[in-house]
Amino acid sequence: MLTVLRGGHVVDPANGRDAIGDVWFRDGHIVAPPPGGKADEEIDVSGHVVMAGAIDIHSHIAGGNVNTARLLLPELHRAIRARLAGTPLSTAKWSTFETGRLYAQMGFTTVVEPAMAPHASLQTHLELNDVPIIDKGALTVLGNDDFLLRMLRKGEAESAVNDYVALTVGNTRSLGLKCINPGGCEAFKENLRVFGLDDEVPFYGLTSRQIFQALQKSTQAVGIHHPLHLHMNNLGIAGNIDTAIDTIDAAQGLPLHLAHVQFYAYGKEGKNAFSSAGARFAEKINANPHVSVDVGQVMFSDTVTISSDVLKQFNSLPGGMPKKGAIFDGDANGGGVVPYAYKISNFYNAIQWAAGLELFLLINNPEQVYFTTDHPNGGPFTTYPDLFALLMSADLRARIMARLPAEALEHTILPSITREYTLYEIAQMSRSGAAKLFGFTDRGQLAPGAIADIAVYRPGKDIAGMFRRAAFVFKDGDLVVRDGAVTHYKRGRTLNIRPRYDSNITTRLDAYYDELYGLPRSIFDLPDAALPHNDAFAEVACRK
Amino acid sequence: MSKATLDGKAIPLQDACREAARILGGATFPVIAGLGADVAGARAAILLAEQLRGAFDHLASREILADLDVMRSFSMFTTTPNEARVRADVLLFVGPGLSALWPGMLERLAPGQPPRHGAQAGHPRRVFWIGPEANEAANIPATVIPASCDELSELLAMLRARVGGRPVAGDDARRTGIDELADVLKNAHFGVVVWSASSGIDPLAIEMLQAMVADLNVTTRCTGVPIGARAGAAGVTQTAGWMTGFPPRTGFGRGYPEHDPWRFEAKRLVESGEADAALWISAYDGEAPPWSNNDLPLITLSPAGKEPGRGLYIEVGKPGVTHDAVEFAQEIGSLALRKSHAPTGAPSVAQIIDAIATELRGEVSC
Repeated sequence: MLTVLRGGHVVDPANGRDAIGDVWFRDGHIVAPPPGGKADEEIDVSGHVVMAGAIDIHSHIAGGNVNTARLLLPELHRAIRARLAGTPLSTAKWSTFETGRLYAQMGFTTVVEPAMAPHASLQTHLELNDVPIIDKGALTVLGNDDFLLRMLRKGEAESAVNDYVALTVGNTRSLGLKCINPGGCEAFKENLRVFGLDDEVPFYGLTSRQIFQALQKSTQAVGIHHPLHLHMNNLGIAGNIDTAIDTIDAAQGLPLHLAHVQFYAYGKEGKNAFSSAGARFAEKINANPHVSVDVGQVMFSDTVTISSDVLKQFNSLPGGMPKKGAIFDGDANGGGVVPYAYKISNFYNAIQWAAGLELFLLINNPEQVYFTTDHPNGGPFTTYPDLFALLMSADLRARIMARLPAEALEHTILPSITREYTLYEIAQMSRSGAAKLFGFTDRGQLAPGAIADIAVYRPGKDIAGMFRRAAFVFKDGDLVVRDGAVTHYKRGRTLNIRPRYDSNITTRLDAYYDELYGLPRSIFDLPDAALPHNDAFAEVACRK
Repeated sequence: MSKATLDGKAIPLQDACREAARILGGATFPVIAGLGADVAGARAAILLAEQLRGAFDHLASREILADLDVMRSFSMFTTTPNEARVRADVLLFVGPGLSALWPGMLERLAPGQPPRHGAQAGHPRRVFWIGPEANEAANIPATVIPASCDELSELLAMLRARVGGRPVAGDDARRTGIDELADVLKNAHFGVVVWSASSGIDPLAIEMLQAMVADLNVTTRCTGVPIGARAGAAGVTQTAGWMTGFPPRTGFGRGYPEHDPWRFEAKRLVESGEADAALWISAYDGEAPPWSNNDLPLITLSPAGKEPGRGLYIEVGKPGVTHDAVEFAQEIGSLALRKSHAPTGAPSVAQIIDAIATELRGEVSC
C-alpha cells in the first residue's frame, strides 16, 4: 500500500530537509514520490512536524540489573489504570511492555540498552524481546573480565584481543562495546573503594587508562561502528571534571563515546565544594570532534540508579532514598541498584541539573551530544519531552531556575545562556546523529529506502506535550500510535552486528572456561532456540 | 502425543484445551497457580492471567518472597557461584539440606580447592557450616557449628553481634565457635555466605545474615549466594518481574497488575472462594495443589504419571528434560537454555497455554 503524509513540516537533517513537504512510503519503506503517482492512503499532516522515528542511544530498559530494580521497588511503580484493548500489560509500570508503549507514544522507534553483561545476555535478550513495537539493540560490557585483563597483562598481540572482542560482541548479539569503570569493578572485589584513571587493578598491573585504550583500539580494528562506549571512573564525585578531561586526552585521537557526562561535570568550587564544570567540559568536547557524549540529564523526580559500576553503587548505598539497595558482584562487572530522589530544593541536585543543561547548550554540534537521562539514573525516559522543552525554551529554564536554591545559581553559568535548540537541532540529536553513531543507514532519516519509522507531532505552546503524545507514529509503515495512544502491538527486532574473528579464539576460550570454572562455555550461549521468535534479530553491517 | 483426561477419562487434547478455555473464560476470578514452569511457560501463563483478569502465584512463593522481602525492605548483597568459586577465601554455609536443595553445590563451589583470584589465590579456603544436616558437611574441610533450624536465628544474631564487636550471652563452647567465625569473616578478603530460603530458615534470619554481610562490607568484602527455590522459582520470578514489574502473587482484577503477597496467595484465594477456577501448573515434578477445597473447577498441567484423580488434566513435558527450556541455572546464577536429554514429544506448558489462549480468543476480548 502506498501512503503519503501530505503537507507537513518535514524535519530531516540527514537529508537537509527543513520545509513543508510530503513523505511517501510503501511496504514499510520510504519511497520517492512516484511521478504522477496516486497514494492508496493520504493523510493530511499540515500544521504538523514530521520526523524520522527517534533513536535513544542509552537507556537501561532490560537485563538483570533493571529487573532487580523492578523487584527492589514495588512501591515505586504501582500501576493505576487498565490497558487499552490489544496491548497486554501496556499499563504495567516499568514492565517491558509499558516501555515499548511509552517510547512509541513519544515517537521513538529504536532504543539501545547500554549495559549487557556477557554472562547474562540471554535474560537481556528475553526482556528486549518483550518490549513491543520498537526496535532494540544492546551494548556488551567488557573491561572488568578476567580473560581480557589476563590477555592485556601478558601483553598479547592486538589481534588476539580483537578476536576476543569480536567473538564476544557477536555471540552476545549486540551493537558494540561498553566499558564501565574499567578495572574498577574488579578492584572493588579486592576491596578498593576509589578507583581512578591511572590506578592499577590489583594483580593485573593494568590501569583503567590502559584497559579502555585497548578496547577502544579493538573496537576500531574489528569494524564496530559505534565507538567504544565508556562509563568513566569517579562518577558523581566532586572535582571529577579532571578525570573527564584526562580521559579525553587519553583518547588517542580515536573515536570515543562518553556516557552520561553530566555525572562527570563537577568542580569543587564554593562552600559546599561542589560546582558545575559543564562549561569547561563542553569546551573540551568542542575541541575534540572524535569524542561524542550523551548527557545523562538529571530531571527532578523519584527514581532509581542502576549501574554496572558496582564500586560507585556501593558507595551510593548510604545515600539511597529509600535507604535500601542491591549490590551484585558479577562474573565481571555485576551491578548495583540504589533508589534515589532528585529534588529541586537540593543544592547538589540543582547543580547536577544545571551542569547537564550547560553541556547541552554549550556543545556546538548537536550530532556530538545526545539527550539521554541515562534512564533511569538521572530520571526516567518519560521525561525526555520535558528535557526537549528545556532545551528549546530559555524562558522555561528561567522559570525552573527561579525555584532552585539561590546558592546553586552562583555555581553555574546556566542563567547567562540564551541558546534555544531548534526542531532541526532536536532532530539532529535524536535522529540523524544517533543513526550515524551506530552506523544505521536505514533509520534516523526519511530518504527513499529508509524504513518507514516516522513520528508526526502536533506543535503547540506546550513543547513537552507535543513530544509526549505524537499525533501519528508509523513503525515499518504500520500506524501504531494515533493521538498519543498506541493502537496495537507489533514485534520489533533486536539489531546486532557480527564482526569477524579468527576461530582459534573459541578453542582457547573453551579451555579457559573448562579450566577456571569447570563449566562448558556453551552454558552462556544465546542460541536461537532460547528465544520465543526465530526472527527476533536483524543484522547491521559492520564498518568496512 | 499428549494425554488428557477429564475426571480420569481420556479425552482428545483439543477437547481438553477447549474445555480449559471454557472453564477459565467462564470464571470471574481464575487463579493460575503452581506455575512450576520454564520461562516460556511462565510467560504464557502470565499473559493468560492478564487476559483473564485473574491472578498468578508460584508454588514456592513463600521461599521466593522470603529472599525478596529482605532485599526490598533492607538490602541484598549477592554474587555468582562462579565468582564464589574463583574468589572466596571464606565460605559460610548456613542451614540444613543445602546440598540436597542444590545437588551440584559442593562440586561447583569447590570448598576443598583454593580460590584462584586476588591476594587469596592459592591459599586454602576456610569453610564453615552453621547447622548442617548430620553428615552433610562430612566430606568437606568445614568447621561445623551444630544448630537446629530453630537455633539459626539466634546463632546468626550472635555472629552479627560478634562481627560488630558487641558482647553476647550463651554457653562458652558456642561463643568460642562464633567468635572464631566472626574473626575469620572480618579478616577475609572475599567472604561468601550461602543459604536457601527453602531450608526452613526464618526469613528474619536471612535479614540478619544479610545485615551482617552489609556490616562486613564497611571494612572488607563479603557477599552471598542464595539457592533458588524449587520448580523453576527464580526464573519465573525474573519473568514475572520484567512482564509485570512484580514477583508472583500478583493479580489483574483491575486490569493492571497489583502485587500483594497476602491477597493473591493461591491457597487463600481458593479456600476463601475468591477464586472460582484454577489452572495448576507443576511441570517439573507434578506437585499437588496445597488447598483443601475440592469443589473448585481445576485444570492441572503436570508430567506423565502425575495425573490427579479429578478435574481436567493435560500432560506436559518436563522442562529441560523432555523439551528444550530456558530456566534459572543455579550453577551460574542466571538464565540458560537446557537442552532436552530425554525427548518424549509431550507438549510444553507454553504450548498448552497458547492452545488454551487460542480457544479463548473467541470468548474473551483481549
